[in-house]
Amino acid sequence: MINLRKSLAILVCRMFVWAMRILGSGGTSLPGKVALKICPTLPEMLAPQFRIYMITGTNGKTTTARMVARLLEDAGIAYMTNKSGANLASGITATIASACTLSGMRKVDTLLLEADEAAFRVMAPKIKPHTVLVTNFFRDQLDRYGELYSTLNGVKEGLSKSPNTIIVLNADDSLCASISTGLSNQVFAFGLSPQVMQPAPDAGSSDAAFCIRCSSRYVYNAYSYGHLGDFSCPSCGFSRPETIVTCDRIMMEGSASSTISITTDTAKYVANINIPGRYNIYNALAAATFAETLGLAHETVIKALANFECGFGRMESIEADGKEIKVILVKNPTGFNQVLQFMRTDTSGSVVAFLINDLLADGTDISWLWDVDFELLASNQQQFKRFYTSGLRAEDMAVRLKYAGIYKDSIFLEHDMKELLMKAMQQVDRGGSLYLLPTYTAMLTLRKLLKKQYKLRAFWK
Amino acid sequence: MYQLSICHLYPDLMNLYGDKGNILSLVRRCEWRGIEVSVKNISIGDVFDPNEADIVFIGGGQDYEQGIIQDDLSGAKREAIRTAIESDVVFLTICGGYQLLGSHYQTHDNKRIECLNICDWYTEGGKKRLIGNLAFQCNWLPNAPQGIIIGFENHSGQTKLGEKATPLGRVLKGFGNNGRDNQEGARYRNAFGTYSHGSLLPKNPAFADYLLSLALKRKYPEFVALTKLDDSFETAAVSALIDRFQVKRT
Repeated sequence: MINLRKSLAILVCRMFVWAMRILGSGGTSLPGKVALKICPTLPEMLAPQFRIYMITGTNGKTTTARMVARLLEDAGIAYMTNKSGANLASGITATIASACTLSGMRKVDTLLLEADEAAFRVMAPKIKPHTVLVTNFFRDQLDRYGELYSTLNGVKEGLSKSPNTIIVLNADDSLCASISTGLSNQVFAFGLSPQVMQPAPDAGSSDAAFCIRCSSRYVYNAYSYGHLGDFSCPSCGFSRPETIVTCDRIMMEGSASSTISITTDTAKYVANINIPGRYNIYNALAAATFAETLGLAHETVIKALANFECGFGRMESIEADGKEIKVILVKNPTGFNQVLQFMRTDTSGSVVAFLINDLLADGTDISWLWDVDFELLASNQQQFKRFYTSGLRAEDMAVRLKYAGIYKDSIFLEHDMKELLMKAMQQVDRGGSLYLLPTYTAMLTLRKLLKKQYKLRAFWK
Repeated sequence: MYQLSICHLYPDLMNLYGDKGNILSLVRRCEWRGIEVSVKNISIGDVFDPNEADIVFIGGGQDYEQGIIQDDLSGAKREAIRTAIESDVVFLTICGGYQLLGSHYQTHDNKRIECLNICDWYTEGGKKRLIGNLAFQCNWLPNAPQGIIIGFENHSGQTKLGEKATPLGRVLKGFGNNGRDNQEGARYRNAFGTYSHGSLLPKNPAFADYLLSLALKRKYPEFVALTKLDDSFETAAVSALIDRFQVKRT
């Protein structure tokens, strides 16, 4: 029996998606919004026929999704996914609709859906995912969510209404680990082995120093980054859960990749991760744990982590005239700090550009820049040729650098991104890199520019 | 040789929205003038000595963390803060910190939370969250571009001032204290409260210098004025925003 409303919603949605693709627009919230207007219960109608995997959390969703996508491909599992950051309810709905025929029958068995935390709260009860990967919780876009704890509670609420969903979570993150408290869902935790962690915390402020259950201050046996580490509460005993998948050794952390040793219940293997940075080791562990829950072979995990393609703005490297352009999206203090840490080792005569916007998708309150540890960057500023600032808040970014201790003569404002690319590239030494650190909407503009200049892949593929 | 001691209350709990930028602004502006400056962090269980601080800073926090400090603020610590404010120690308090200096906070579901009751203001929790870029006119800061201060607010609390407090300025854009009386911030003696994040002082160096001058005057009778610094970056930031938001001085 064909449901007209459902079919119309699917048709209109897919037409919008097609039209926007033709028009060259990467934005994908309109098709889903229209579909929901026509048929508000579309997601719950279509979802049950799929096996749905979701990924949520503050940082690392897109990168983890790319790793998981590669895992599915290499394992021969056909799937559809919502790439290019369409991770709100509208984008998720559009993806589900796009995965169905006009009569609402599934075209593929599996859906891989990245979900923003607020969208997860709403969508999880409707589409009842098979498994969800929760990467971490950090303060992010304060003006949109107000508070970290309400974000956390929202995700927990979504999970409580989907009790059969398997949860893969980050054990080193006390907030993430607390998600399963009081829930009957099956849990698989991943993390770094404490022996791989640091004895002392990093300079960045902790988003969660106090026990979420009893408000006492956590004690840390070892630290990872931000509030992540081998935490335990001396009062109520809440502590880092046991991990099913653990990184017990980091053999190499380079400028383009990392090599780690992974142990599971049954085995131990070495994997090379095709993207650098400590935070990406966590994303790799999330993907490896997901593979465990599916019973995928370790060889598949090793292959996927070594070969997956990271999304634009997640450390993508572009070669140009003997120099490299690295675009790294910055969204919140912890993520930004990790990027700055990563850049510390670069002594090849590089240039750094910060492109800061304050539109809705970037977060309209740029106060968070004052929680980023630019002082760390300033302490090795001699390594870099110049610092550029751009975007709607270029001037605010310049003020931030000044107070961080960057010499005023090294700070250059350039609003015109095309000019910025040209001037900055001229300054980069041969063999060096141009680091472009944009907020989300600045990244979209940058993407268009770079695509024109360097002929990159279309954004939404 | 001048020296200032800055005390940061609850840096680990009340540190939302980049407010530590305010401490950085004060510290740098002292360093750049050869004024010795130190920052002491005081948190739960630590003693606060009103004689040790020239400038005290209290930032804003999440509801969860603000609940934790309630217990710590009864008794000796509260009296020490009162003594400090009454003896004209400079205080800068943002959002939650600002609300804390007042008498109480009445939540939206009519629960009354007692605050420090040192300054003549109180806060009521509103239904709407007052969020957005904030600009207010401070005629007592002639060195600010057109006398305009720019920041960002994010609060559901609506603060009302009593007779013993004066507003910091007139709202030109945004909501300010309560979205109704067109006033932003408050001052009692040398205690300043405001809803402005941004963070506030880095982009508004006139305000930072005003606070430093107050603290120095109080400590060193011979102090006259601060040396001028090159604030072109900061001025550019505020001017860009004045243009972008079409803020007009009144």
